[in-house]
Parts: sequence; C-alpha cells; structure tokens
Amino acid sequence: MVAKAIIYTIVGLFGFATFYPFWYILIASFNSGADFTRGGVYLWPRVFTLANYREAFLSRMIVNALTISVGRTVLGVLLGISFTALFAYAMHIRTLPGRTWLVIYFFITTIVGGGMIPYYFLLRALNLTKSFWIYVIPSIFNFFNMVLMRTFFDGIPSELRESAVVDGANEWRVIARIYLPLSIPVMATVSLFIGVAHWNDWFTGAYYVSNQKLYPAATYLQKILTEAQAAQTIQVGRETAAMFDAINQTTPQSLQMAFVMLLTMPIVAVYPFLQKYYVKGVMVGAIKG
Amino acid sequence: MLAGSLKVSGRPLTKRVIRHRSIYLMALPAFIWYAVFCYQPMYGVLLAFKDYKFNMGILHSPWVGLKYFSQFLYTSEFWSIIKNTVVISGLKLLLGFPAPIILALLMNEITHQKYKRVIQTFSYLPHFVSWVVVATLMNIIFTPYGGVVNSIRMRAFDLPAIFFMGEQRFFYPVIVLSDIWKGAGWGTIIYLAAITNINPELYEAAICDGAGKMSCMWHITLPGILPTAGIMFILATGGILNANMDQVLLLQKPSNIVVSQILDTYVLKVGIREGRFGFATAVGLFKSVFSAALVFTTNWVSKKVTEISIW
Repeated sequence: MVAKAIIYTIVGLFGFATFYPFWYILIASFNSGADFTRGGVYLWPRVFTLANYREAFLSRMIVNALTISVGRTVLGVLLGISFTALFAYAMHIRTLPGRTWLVIYFFITTIVGGGMIPYYFLLRALNLTKSFWIYVIPSIFNFFNMVLMRTFFDGIPSELRESAVVDGANEWRVIARIYLPLSIPVMATVSLFIGVAHWNDWFTGAYYVSNQKLYPAATYLQKILTEAQAAQTIQVGRETAAMFDAINQTTPQSLQMAFVMLLTMPIVAVYPFLQKYYVKGVMVGAIKG
Repeated sequence: MLAGSLKVSGRPLTKRVIRHRSIYLMALPAFIWYAVFCYQPMYGVLLAFKDYKFNMGILHSPWVGLKYFSQFLYTSEFWSIIKNTVVISGLKLLLGFPAPIILALLMNEITHQKYKRVIQTFSYLPHFVSWVVVATLMNIIFTPYGGVVNSIRMRAFDLPAIFFMGEQRFFYPVIVLSDIWKGAGWGTIIYLAAITNINPELYEAAICDGAGKMSCMWHITLPGILPTAGIMFILATGGILNANMDQVLLLQKPSNIVVSQILDTYVLKVGIREGRFGFATAVGLFKSVFSAALVFTTNWVSKKVTEISIW
C-alpha cells in the first residue's frame, strides 16, 4: 500500500512537472504584465487582461512571423502529403522493375549525408536562402513518412487495384478512387508529422535564412530568447522587465509569454489527434525500424 | 495480363518497364529530390579537402589534403569540444536513457485508469513542442528576476536567487533534466507496449509461487522489455551525437560556452557564422565518422554481451 502511494506520487509529480510550466505561462500571458513583475502569480491570473495578446497581434514582426509559419505549415503539409503519397504508392508496387535498387537508393540517405555545411552550400547555390521556398522544398520528402504510408498501402488488398486496372482505370485513378479514400488514417498521421515539424522548426530560419522578414514564429521566438538571455547575462534583466507600456500594462516579458502561447496553442489544439495517430505511427516505425 | 499480376514477370524487361511508366513518373520527383538534397551534399563533402575559392567552385578549387583535420586537431578548443560532446552524450545516455524505462515500470503499476491517462496526456505534451518553446519556458521559470522557482526559494526558504540558466555549473544538470522532461513521457510508449506483450501467465505463475510485486517487476517485466531496451539503446548511441543539437544551441550562452560547445555547434559557429567552410566541413565529417564508430562499437559489444544487435 505504501509502495503504491509512493508510485502514485512519483508519477503524479512527473505529470505535474510536465504540465505546470505550460499552465504558468498560460496564466501569465493572461495577466497584466506590470502586475506580473510584482510576483506571486502562480495558479491563476491576478489581474486578468487580453492586452498581451492584443499587443502581440499589433506587432508587425510577430504577425509576419506567424503568417510565415502558417503559410509554410499549410503548404508544407499539402505538398508533402501529395508527393509522399505518390512516392509511397510507387514504392509499394512489388512488380516494379528495379524497385529494390530504388529503395536502396532512397534508404542510403537515412544513414549517410553530407553534413550541415555542404547542405548550406547547396541551399545557397539554389538561391533558397533568400526565398520562402527554403521552408517547403527541402523538406518535402522523408523516408520514414514514406515507409509509414507504404506499410499502410501494403495492407490494401491488391485485388482492388488489379480489378480496377482490368476495368480500364489508370494508376492515377486507382490512387484517387481507391487508395485515398481508404488511407485517411495514415494520411492524417503523416500530415500531423509534417505539420508539427514545420510549425516547430526554428533552425532553418535561424541558420540558413538571411532575410529577417522570412523568419517563422519559432525562429523569431529564438531571436527574442537570445536577446533576453544576453540582457540577463549582463544583469539588466530587472530594468528591462520593469520597463513597460504604461497604457497597456504590458512588458517585454508578458508579450513574450503571449507569443510563446501563440506558438504552443496550435500544438495543443491538434494534440488529441496527435495522441491518437502519433502513437500508432511510433509503433509502426518501431516495428519497421 | 495486367501490371501487378505475377505472370508479367515472364515478359521482357523493356515491356515491363513501359507498362509501369506511370509508376516511375510518380517516383520521379522523389528520385530527383533525393539526388539534389541528399546526394549532392555528399559530393559537397569534398569541401573538407579543398581550399575553397568562390570563383572556382568546389571541383576546381585546389586540394589541401588533410590540412583542415590537422588544423582542427591542433586548435586549443579541440579537447574541450570532444570532452563536452562525449560528456553531454554520455550523461544523456546514462540518465536520460533509463528514465522512460523507469517511468514505464512505474506507470504500469498504476491501476487507476483515469489517473494514468491524465498523467500520460500531460507527460506526452512536451514532446510535441519545439525546443525554442521549452528553452523560453525554462528561461521564464528559472530566471532570478521573479521566476517562479527563485521566488519560492526566496520567499519560502529564504535562500538567495540563483541564475540557473546562466551559471556554468548548472549547464549539465539543466541539459540532462530538460532532456528527460521533454522526452521521458513520450519514451514510455514503446516500453508500455512491450510490457503489454508479456505473457500474463508468467505473472500468474509467479504469484502462485509467492512472488511479490517487486520481484514480479524485477524477474518478469524487466527481462520482458530488455530486448526492446537493447535495440533502443543501440539506436540511441547512434543518434546521440546528432540528437538535440537544437537543445544545446538554445541553452548555450557566452557564460557557459566552455562546457557547452559541442561538435555540431562548433561546425555552425565556424562554418556559417565565420564562413570557414572547408574547415567546418572537415569538423562535420570528423563527427560523422566518430558517431558511426560509436554505433558499430556499441552494436559489437551488445552482440557479444547480450546477443542483441541491430544487424
């Protein structure tokens, strides 16, 4: 009984530790920034306000960054899912001459690569470092996602495809009329994989992109973070935190919290689906892996 | 007959290829994309052996042999970078690897389904948010200027505020704990699945023989998930030098750079920030070889000792 209580407590503490930071930022983002600097806001907003979010949506940089993020996520998912579906469909046709060689050709890249600098060279040579497409084109394909879809396609009875071909349907029709309607779960899974990766990617923007106007929200948050850290390191954090917008009662910190929440909320919104589909994806990946 | 039936394989190759032309067309974008974005950078590794001249391109720039490798070996930072890389990877493996196993074993003991589900829901969440968000959360929570941890330290225990995110001595604990915080909950999934695959008769027999909960866990559950853990361990050693470069980059500061500069972050610093492309490529190549050696060694040791291996 005692052992059980201890186990419940330990696991409960871990759950609390993973939940509370999000809660803390959430209530802080709905609390007046000026009031928050006085401390003591732990469980519930003390001076409730929407000013932080209003301020965030009035910031040109933040709105621009969020637009880039939404744009790359939507476009990335649409293009990624379509091309991956075609790719996976092709790779699941067992009779395709040279299929084994093709799979090897694709698989090798998951083991060896050129590294960050040759990759950066390539992006520069393609003029992608100055373009929005840097977020979309270099991440269209992913071997793991293809395997996930192919495994699902393998489960669709091949008679369906064969009889459709007998009836005169071409491969494109087979995909559109038979495979797509049957593959909604795997499409959802892979869309979520791709979408989350796009939404969370800060690295591409921070290291490969030269134009500030192209920063997605995650990269912009990283830039803010770096500045805030630099400010703290030289011990002026207190002054910065005290410096607030007297009318709106917002501070750079409370604005940052609202921004963090804007970046987290879409993930939380799709989280129920993530849990449902991702877990399956992980299991398939583990078995195939 | 038709594409897809077995009889086709008797036909001449050209006919079979033509019959599959639309299938090839579907794979064509992937084929080109992989050539451009994966194989072209492999060719770019030549940079590591060339004195790159902008106007000559990679191919025509003069060879320098292993110059950059020996340069790297003789930089004053070499040993500290190697040490940091190995220490951070080692600590994560040592402490971060068992964390989800322990958590899964504990979660398995929780019989209250609703409680379990709530905890699982919370503990998976950090996996899905970006490291940038995590680093920002940590910065806000641990800041000495009114962060929740330091306010509690000061108000309840009358202790001085500590700059957890900036002081050098806290860098390794911060890295390891945040890694566990972000990944352990999610990591339990695979072990919980392995636990459900254990034959329940084993438990029944053990309980008949008078085994308690603890000895069931020790003698049945743990050996039951050992093969999964073994595979995960080998995979972890392979990925560890790549894994979470994000995390280190985001938690790195001038104040802790002495202990936080690792191979990957160094490549970015000298390559992209300073533009020493050849040198940075050489360092990157060094890292790849280093991590490949690590996987082979672990796999070899694991094969000898436990007969678990990935090939």
